[in-house]
Amino acid sequence: MSRSSRSPRRRLAQIAALTALTMAGAACGNSLSDDEAGSDGGLKIGLVVPASGVYEPLGVDMTRGFELYLDQNDGQLGGQDVEVVKADEGEGPDTGVPATTKLASQDQVSALVGIVNSATALGVKDVVTQSKVPLIVANAGADDLADGSPYIWRTSFTNGAVGASLGEEVAQAADGPVYMIAADYAAGKEFVAGFKEAFEAAGGDVAGEAYTPFGTTNDWQPFLSKIQNTDASAVYAFYAGAEAVNFVKQYQSFGLSEDLPLYGPGFLTEGGVLTAQGDAAEGVRTSLHYSNLIDSPENKEFVDAYTEAYDEAPTVYSVQAYDAAAVLDAAIAEADGTDGESVAKALAGVGEIESPRGTWSFDEDHNPDQTYFLREVQAVDGGFGNGVLEPLTD
Amino acid sequence: MGWLDANVVSILNGFALAALLFLIAVGLSLVFGTMDVLNLAHGAVSLTGAYVGVALLDGSVGGGQFAVAVLAAAAIGLLLGAALAVLTQSVTNHLRQALLTLGIALIAGDVLSQVFGADVESVPAPLGLDGSIEMLGKTYPLYRLFVIGVGVLIGVVLYVILERTQTGALIRATVADRTMVEAMGVRSSLVLGGVFGIGAALAAVGGLLAGPILGAQPGLDTTFLLLALVVVVIGGLGSIRGAVLGAVLVGQVQTLGVALLPELASFLLFGAMALVLLLRPAGLLPARNSGAAAHS
Repeated sequence: MSRSSRSPRRRLAQIAALTALTMAGAACGNSLSDDEAGSDGGLKIGLVVPASGVYEPLGVDMTRGFELYLDQNDGQLGGQDVEVVKADEGEGPDTGVPATTKLASQDQVSALVGIVNSATALGVKDVVTQSKVPLIVANAGADDLADGSPYIWRTSFTNGAVGASLGEEVAQAADGPVYMIAADYAAGKEFVAGFKEAFEAAGGDVAGEAYTPFGTTNDWQPFLSKIQNTDASAVYAFYAGAEAVNFVKQYQSFGLSEDLPLYGPGFLTEGGVLTAQGDAAEGVRTSLHYSNLIDSPENKEFVDAYTEAYDEAPTVYSVQAYDAAAVLDAAIAEADGTDGESVAKALAGVGEIESPRGTWSFDEDHNPDQTYFLREVQAVDGGFGNGVLEPLTD
Repeated sequence: MGWLDANVVSILNGFALAALLFLIAVGLSLVFGTMDVLNLAHGAVSLTGAYVGVALLDGSVGGGQFAVAVLAAAAIGLLLGAALAVLTQSVTNHLRQALLTLGIALIAGDVLSQVFGADVESVPAPLGLDGSIEMLGKTYPLYRLFVIGVGVLIGVVLYVILERTQTGALIRATVADRTMVEAMGVRSSLVLGGVFGIGAALAAVGGLLAGPILGAQPGLDTTFLLLALVVVVIGGLGSIRGAVLGAVLVGQVQTLGVALLPELASFLLFGAMALVLLLRPAGLLPARNSGAAAHS
């Protein structure tokens, strides 16, 4: 009987190989719609953030920021009771676009808030424009996303601007050429491109560039060894999430942190990522439009309220969603009606927004015109935090 | 010398990765060899091992505490393996096995992320191994040298057990001809369950040992499974020597290969797998009995 084992064995080898390939190729997405169908009338706001997948921690922070603003304002925006309808953005456009489309068309919300993933944001641009529902992008940073279209507004950042904000600082602080390394996808390239332009304009020299496979790189040692074999005197790196954790830890354990100062966009050391990095991140300098250690009364009040409500310090993601609620609050108070078109019109007139990050306003493309801060990872009561060294000129 | 000097860290690191991959993949390979079961829940077992580290290890961890966590991971892995062996016992169709174990893997992944959250968690290396040392003028993390040592040790122990002991002979006999072993009065299901349990225990230990290097987060289970499958496909299903060779090859491709050809980093791993499948469809060192079956 066992003589027949050959052909199933070979077939199994094929199944094994096929499974390996399928898993490598297919990103599995799952979508859970959180239906809270409510009564007609009243003000409905759609909140589309990841409730599953790799971006879930960001979704949690954003939901908390948004809900904190509502709690502080008796559940009202612009003097009207708000019903929040949630949908799961998931990891990519395959789940995020249908979720957003459902909120915009079926649930007929007055405005949408959220979107972490840039590809999803670009994918829903047409949907919201056609449905005439304004979208307040509270994270996605793709450079070309907001272009002055009346239905796209952004309370977060553009990748290029975050990158550029650190260019001059690094050019002045580094003793020699700087090596740039980032995850090989659109955002990684935009951060590096923005940084490089400002860095070279300020007289900086580039030691080299590397883009690592996104989502499949676990070990940065080959790339780190390569950096050590160049004449680089500092490194600029963009990673987020688990990649940021492993990159920064390995940067230390292979001895680079002793000789080569590490710079990057703030996402390299933000929120839960920093907790997991621990002391490996100490001394890493980043630029971002927020740190929960900003020393201002507005921020202290916000951090205290947030910490009391959720037992965790806020992140930049919390603030972006908190500000999205603030923007809607101001717009709806002035709007002629609660339909999407009226809210979109009123958004043009919100002017300056008082935020925990400082005062900012929308620029002509509807991106935030804001101050970026130079942050350094420092030991803060038992843990680590992003201490604010100075505001960076924009 | 210049070339070697520039790449010595990559080569060394390839062996550290190989040691981890070997620990994770050898169970997958043996379970297939003995039970004819392709266990797609194998990666989930490894991730469980990593989360055992998250649960038991925090802050500064002594060597003893780390050893306790390793034993705990092994015990949990053993139980999970035994449970999987019972579940898959009556399912002989390969496609159904794949669906069953994949389903279990998805459920396990969701349960883990419910319990431990979706954030990346880190696992500390034990004190004394958490630093780096200077080797040949380069800095290398001590913990990775330790991982290489553990991988070699477990590999040797497994080899001796399988090739030089009565138990090993029984396992090899079960792989070669299950019916004959049954006819000699041995309950082959016990042998098979034991192999499944030990394979899963090794996978869980591998996941825990990978913790200080890769951390623990949802999605790492598919990474583990994927790499283990590639190791097994390259090395050949059902043999320890194949798992060793596959792990070393994948380790070097992932480090030295990437260091030499960084722009091809995304393609190297599957390029290597495709090449092996093209030239040796059964893998480089498949289980010997399957070769015998082919000749008869």
